[in-house]
This record gives sequence, structure tokens and C-alpha cells, in this order.
Amino acid sequence: MSGEANKQDVGTPIEPASNVLPKILIFSIALTLLFTGVANLLPQVEGEAPVDKEINLGTLTPESFATLGESLFMGKGTCTLCHKPAPLGRAPDIQGENMVGLAESALADERYKGDAKTPEEYIRESMVHPSKFVVKDWGVAGSNDTTSPMPKVDAAPIELSTVEMDAIIAYLQNKDGNDITVELPTEAPAPVEEVASSGGSGGTPAPAETAEEAVTKYGCQACHSMLGTKSPVGPSLEDVSARLNIEQINQSILDPAAVISEGFTDMMPKDFAEKMTIKELTMIVDLLSGKASVAEDKKEAAQ
Amino acid sequence: MRILNNPVIAVVVAFVVAIILFYLLDHGIMSMQGLPLNSDLTPAQ
Amino acid sequence: MNLKTLFKTILVSLLLIWGVSLISVSSNSLASNALAAGTSDTVESRIQPEGKVHLEGDPEPSTTEEKSAVEEEAEPPIGAPKLKRKDYPKVGASSRGIVWIAAQMHLFFAAFVLAVPMFVLVIEWVGMRTGDERYDNMAHEFMKITMTAYSITALLGGFLTFALFLLYPQLMNYMMMVFDMQVLVYAGLFFAESALLYMYYYSWDALRYGNKKWGHLTIGLGLNVAGTTLLVIANAWATFMMAPSGVDVTGAVTGDIWEIMKGPLWNPVNLHRFIANIAFGGAIVGAYAGFKFLSARTVEQRALYDWMGYTANFIAILAFLPLPFAGYWLMAEIYAYSQQMGITAMGGILAWLFIVQAVLIGTILLAGNYYLWSGMSRCEGSKRYTWMIKYIALILVACFLVWVTPHTLILSAQEIKQLGGSHHHLLGPLGIMPAKNIAVNLMLIVTFLSFQLYRRADKVATVSYANFLNALMVAIYVVAIVNVVFAGVYYGYFTNTVYKVGSSVMQVASTLVVIVAGIVIDTLLFKNAKTIPAVWGKVSNRSQYALFALPIAFTWLMALMGYVRSSVRTHWHVYTVMKDNSPDNFVPSIGYAGNMMTIVTIMFLGMVLFIFWIASLSETKQSKPVAIKKDTEKQPEAQEAGA
Repeated sequence: MSGEANKQDVGTPIEPASNVLPKILIFSIALTLLFTGVANLLPQVEGEAPVDKEINLGTLTPESFATLGESLFMGKGTCTLCHKPAPLGRAPDIQGENMVGLAESALADERYKGDAKTPEEYIRESMVHPSKFVVKDWGVAGSNDTTSPMPKVDAAPIELSTVEMDAIIAYLQNKDGNDITVELPTEAPAPVEEVASSGGSGGTPAPAETAEEAVTKYGCQACHSMLGTKSPVGPSLEDVSARLNIEQINQSILDPAAVISEGFTDMMPKDFAEKMTIKELTMIVDLLSGKASVAEDKKEAAQ
Repeated sequence: MRILNNPVIAVVVAFVVAIILFYLLDHGIMSMQGLPLNSDLTPAQ
Repeated sequence: MNLKTLFKTILVSLLLIWGVSLISVSSNSLASNALAAGTSDTVESRIQPEGKVHLEGDPEPSTTEEKSAVEEEAEPPIGAPKLKRKDYPKVGASSRGIVWIAAQMHLFFAAFVLAVPMFVLVIEWVGMRTGDERYDNMAHEFMKITMTAYSITALLGGFLTFALFLLYPQLMNYMMMVFDMQVLVYAGLFFAESALLYMYYYSWDALRYGNKKWGHLTIGLGLNVAGTTLLVIANAWATFMMAPSGVDVTGAVTGDIWEIMKGPLWNPVNLHRFIANIAFGGAIVGAYAGFKFLSARTVEQRALYDWMGYTANFIAILAFLPLPFAGYWLMAEIYAYSQQMGITAMGGILAWLFIVQAVLIGTILLAGNYYLWSGMSRCEGSKRYTWMIKYIALILVACFLVWVTPHTLILSAQEIKQLGGSHHHLLGPLGIMPAKNIAVNLMLIVTFLSFQLYRRADKVATVSYANFLNALMVAIYVVAIVNVVFAGVYYGYFTNTVYKVGSSVMQVASTLVVIVAGIVIDTLLFKNAKTIPAVWGKVSNRSQYALFALPIAFTWLMALMGYVRSSVRTHWHVYTVMKDNSPDNFVPSIGYAGNMMTIVTIMFLGMVLFIFWIASLSETKQSKPVAIKKDTEKQPEAQEAGA
């Protein structure tokens, strides 16, 4: 740049400013350092992610459980983000007020439609179903106090466990001198089995009413050709009555490993005995043995 | 509208217009958010 | 072909599409109700077929694979991985720090190269309309800077990608699973972006006038479409990590790519980044102009770069003014999505960052205003207005001080006793949002006033109703200021939370009324106005430092706010879906964060100076040396004196 012709250099010459680049650099860096300085002068706080803590159940007392609850209230529960004194709070100031008193007045409120009967139940309900009852004026704007802005504390991102919620309830009861009504945890909770994502497993499915329903329910057609469908995985059941008698059909279902048809392997589920009702088993066996045809089954179901 | 050239009238009319404008603005903006106001701009809820 | 019609058709259609999609509020209520496909754990899925089976008497099995019912059963959906600390690669340096720097550098440059073509297109169009060659030349010069910046953006993008896959492989695996083919669409779009960029720049002189110029504008429009699309695609990744949509609680994908992209924060971030990019880009080219102004060797160059600096500053401040509103929308959506996330940002651990933000925006507004005041020296007519400057400065400083006042102080027990509480009884109330909203809105109003005075400086009104219009303007300013203060004080301190929050919209609306009214009134007032000549170049050297302060502040501010945006997730990679268990999963102290921001700002400064140098280099020609005759003393000047 210096000492070379620039194609725009036509016109009345003037002296350019001196040391332009160094001046700009010094100014820019100084300004940047000013901002850095501000950031470093302010109070320095680090935010730790929640870390698992072991509690010794043997030495646990109601008071120490309440203390644990208080640290959870301030920490992992992140309750103080919203539950603060006016005018900052975005939720009732439950730390400052008598929580049991608040709970009792909520339960007595005519708007209350939840399922809790005691203050302990009310507090727990507020944590896991916040919108069941919204304290007046604290609802989401425009929802007329029917929707709560509070997140469910047992779901992400807070993910409090039952024990942790109990501890917080204990704290909320204890801090104003009320009795602690929650039970202390007595043993490590049974490890929750990792259940693979399952649909329709919200409880025992209703027993089947007809043989066809039972066949569908237990998925026989996935492996066995029957009732018009084909599958090469297991022996065909279309004419099974020609090969097996009723006892043998029963055994094939309840104890599949006992006899394996030639050319097939031991793959049939073993737990039909636990899962099927006697009625379902009878219907299937009757169907397979030809004792009742499909049409007749349907007639029976219709009755 | 030659009367508006009179500086005093101009100022008075201008302020009246501005006040009405902002009063209506206040009501409009707050009602739009579901937060109605009374005539004296106090909260109606 | 009439390219003008083509250009206008494309432009209008784009604006319509864009406007409609912005208005349709994005929410994740669009997510499909259908449970994820294949969630059933049926008997069929438990039976594992091991091969073909052939019964005696049955027809021969075919040699082609038959799909049994079991194989057709869909795979159960995969959720986000649950990582342990040991799952994270260790490279001997903070993984977060490396990605932080890489990402921020990439974003600085990406913002720049997306923004410049946007205002260049407008400047080019203005040049075509006015016939003033200066506009076209300036647009061309801005694009020259962009070319080098574009390469650097790509390099940094590559670096960032490698860093992400090296240091957070499982997160990236999950993100790839969620975003699927869209990432290749993103990569593919760069072909379009590159092609259009090169075509736009290199065809400048070939498509200079008349119908061909419309063709050139169309290429520029296409370039901006590609750039904006790239922006919104990348934004979806960031907003997904903050507020995931289109996935269930485990992180398994349940919706299509549109549901995944259109989360509740996507459009607020789109709008905010779109506008902020323009402000940022304007500030940087303003620094370029300031640099060239100070190095100018002729009066004409000085005038040219003064004018260029003014135009760039105009773009930067004009784009800057709506930013608080876009930011407010973003925060409102964050609060609506998760009150907890919102409070973490502004009422929790990250709250102090907003005090730093106040310092930065105060710097920006002061620099912008100072530049405008200095610029008044270009025109004699400004003397009518210079008396107002000290009052504007006073209001700016007072508001800045209010804005910077914190609410919560970390005090020792002794200090609490001395103070008489955890908050100062006088200054404490200044620390909460109502006071800050008053301060910000007043600062924006008086900044607009500075701007309006500057624009009026070279004009004398000739219309008959000038008195009334001026009275109206004054009235609007006064009533607006009173309204802003009233809304902040009354609703902020004497009513409940919902009214307090709602009143901030009232304040913003008042500021907007001032800006709109100012523009309208001035247009009416100065019809056929008498102009007082203004001299470009007649401005102090010191004023140019405002043009350097602006990009430094913008850069640091961008780093600061980006840091807030990404750390509001706290210890989650993808909020509520994929937990962060890395060694860096804590929110760092504000000093550490500030140091990181300074590192990236200084790196960026260095790279930008490199870019300016390259741009200057490209128009430097070394003169051919002339042979020196032995007998003569005179040596023809081969090089220009000075510098």
C-alpha cells in the first residue's frame, strides 16, 4: 500500500493521517480490553450441573431429610428461579409463606378440582401436575389461571425423583414449624427395569372374546399359516387337527419346547401359559382342533 | 387550516393530537395482550 | 427479455413467501400427534425368524427373499444417547473452548458474508435509480471485501465441523439422525451460493447498464435468497438444541423435517439474526471506510470515504434500532417455551451478562450518536441544532447508568448489614426490567433524534404548514417520553407481573411511533425544501474512531449474546432430551466467558484487517520501472511520494 500507485489517486493531494493502522489497532484492542475488564470485575459465579449424591439412610432423620429438601429446593429443583418474593417472583413465594397454610387454602378454594386431600398430597400434585390448580393471578397470561407456567418437576429438564420430591415436601412442611408427614425413604428403591419402548403396555390388555381375537392378540399368524394367512416360520396350522389331538395342541401352546416339529427350531414363545387366560386357550384349541368353526365363533361372540 | 400557523394554536393542537394518539396506543397495545385497562389507564383485572 | 420485470416478479414473490412464513407463528404444536411408528412391542417383534422353513408337502420355497411379517415391522425409534463422562473424547484442551472459538469465528464471518450482499443489492438499486455512480462503485467495493471473507467463512466452517465431530461425536451422530438429508441440502446450497457470488461480483462491469443491470440485480437477489436459506437452515440446528421439536421425550424423531425445523424459537432467531447481520455488516464496512478515510491521499478520496462511512453507519444504526424488539420477541418465546429457561437467562445465573450487554449497547449508541454529532460539521445549517447535543448526551449517559445498575449484589453478611438489606433501597429498584426498559427506550428515542437532526441539518422547510408539523414532532417526542416513563414506573412498580411485562410492549410501541412519525413528518415537511450545501470530507479525524468502535462493540456483543443463547441450555446438549455429561457441562464464570469473547474479537480483528489489506492490494499496481539514463540527474518518479 505504501509507495505504490493506487488507481484512485487522482485529485488534490493531502497529507493522510499518520500511523493509521497502529492507532486503529491500539484503539480497538483497548476498547476490547475495556469490555473484558467489565466482565472480570463483576461477581464471578460458576453454575454447576447437578451431581448425584449418596444419602446414608441409616442416619436419616426427618430434620436432616428436610435439610436435604432445602438444598434440593435451592439446587437441582431450580425452584428459586421462579418462586421468589415479590416483585421479582413469577410464582408464589412459597419459601416466604407458610406452605401448609397455602396448601390448605388452595384445597378449600372453590376452583380446586384436583385429587389431593391433604397438604402433602397438594404439594406433590402441584409438582407433577402443576396445571391441576393454578393460584389466582399466577397463570399463563391469557389463560385465565387455567394453565400454569410451572414445568413438571419429575420430567426433564429437572427430573426430580420421588425421594427428592418427598425431601422437598418435608422441607416445605418443616420450615414453618409444621409436622413432616412424608415417609422417610427406607431402602434403596428397586432398580427400575429398562423397559424397551413399548406401546399398548399400559396394563394388562383385556382378554379376548373370540378365538380370532385371541389368535390376533397372541400373534400366532406371525409364524403359523392359519385363518387364511401364510407364514413359513412355524408349522402350518391349517390342518393341524389332522396331525395333533387336543392334548397335543394344548401342550404345543403351553410347553412349546416339549415337542418340536421336524424341520423347525425351538422358537415359539414360552410364556403363553402365564399370559393366556383359560378361556383364551380353550377358544384357540377349539378353533385349531376343528371343534368350532370360525363362523360359529363369531356367532357365539355376538350373543 | 391557516389558524394552525399561529404558533400557540399549533402547539396546543399538536399536543392534544399527540396525547390522544398515545392514549389510544396504550389502550390498544394492552388489550391486544389480554390486559385491558380502565379509562384512567389502571389495570382492569 | 425484459429483465426488469423478471427481477421485480421474483422480488415480490420472495417477499410474500417470506412474509407469510414469518407471520405464521412457528410452534411445536404442529408436531404430529401420531405416536412414533413402530412403538409396539408385539409378539411378532419378539419372535426372531432364523431362516426359511420348508414343510414336507409344501411347494418348494422360492429363492427370492420373502419378507415375513416380522421383518416388515418397523424398527423401534432411537432416542438420544445417554452419555457418561468417559464417553467424551479427551484432547488435552477444553473441548467446549475449541468449539466455542471455532463456532464464533465462523458465525462472525458468516454473518458478514450474508449481510453485505443484502445491503449491496439495495445500494446498487439506489445507484441505478439515482444515476449516481458513487453508489454503484461503493457497492462493488463492498463486494470485493466480501470475496475474501467468503473463503475464510468456508475454512472456518470446515474447521468447526471437524472440531464438532472430533469432540462431540455422539451429539453429532444424534443431530445427523434428527436432521437427516437436510444437512446435505445445506451443503449443496453452497454450490448455488458460490456460483451466484462469483457471478455477481465478476459480472459487475459486464452487466453494468440498462436491461443488463436488471439481470445483474437478479443475480444479486438469487445470491441473497441462497444466503438467507443457508441462514435459516443453520439456525434450525441451534434452536433445536434449545427447544427441540418434532421429537418425543426420549429424543426419538416423531415428526418430519419441517416440524423439527419449525420449533418455537426458530423464527425469532431467524428475524433477530437476519437484522443483526445487516447491522454487523454495515459496521464492518463502516470501519473499512473509516480506515480508507484516514489513509486518504487526496481531497476527493477523503470526501468519497467520508460519504461511504456515513452510508455504512446509516445502515448499521438503522438495522440496529429494531434489534431490541427482535430480541424481545426471542426472549418472550423463550419464556413461553420454558419459563425456567427464560429466568435462567435473565433472572438467574446468566443475568449478569445483561449488565455487560448494557455496557456494549451503551457504547454502540454513544459511538453512533457521536458520529452523527461530528458529522454535523459537514453542513452550516446544523448550527441551528447543535445546542440540543449536550442534552441528548446527558440523557444517554443517565439512561446508560440506569441500565448498567444491577439488581442483585453478591454481598457478605457485613455488607448486608451496612446496606440494610440484600438490595440497595434506592438503586435496587433501578436494577429490574421496568427501569431498564425506560432507559433503553429513551436511548433509542434520543438516538433517533440525533439522526433526525443530522438529516435536517442541510434543509430549510418551505411548506406553509411547517410550524404545525414541527410542533407536532415536538409534541410526539415529549408525549412519547412521558408515556415511556409512565409505563415503566406505574406498571413496573405498582401493578402485578403480567401488566409489568405487558407494559414493555407499550414502551416499544411508543418508540416506534416516534421513529415512524419522524420519518413521515420529515418527508412531508421537506417537500421542495431549500438545501444548504454539505461538504463531504469536512469532518474530524477523531470522528472516524466511532466507526471503529462500532464494529468492535458489535463483534463483542455478538459473542456475548451468542454465549447467552447457547449456555441457556445449561447442562443439556439438546434441552430436556440429551444431557451434557462432558467435563465442561457447567456454566463458566462471566470472566472466563469474557476472556473467550476477547480472544475471538481480537482474532476477528486480525482477520478483518487481512481482508481489508487484500482488498486494497487488489487495486494496487506497481509502476513499471523506467531505465535510468546515466547522464541525467533527473529520475522519473517511479513511485508516488509520501505514505
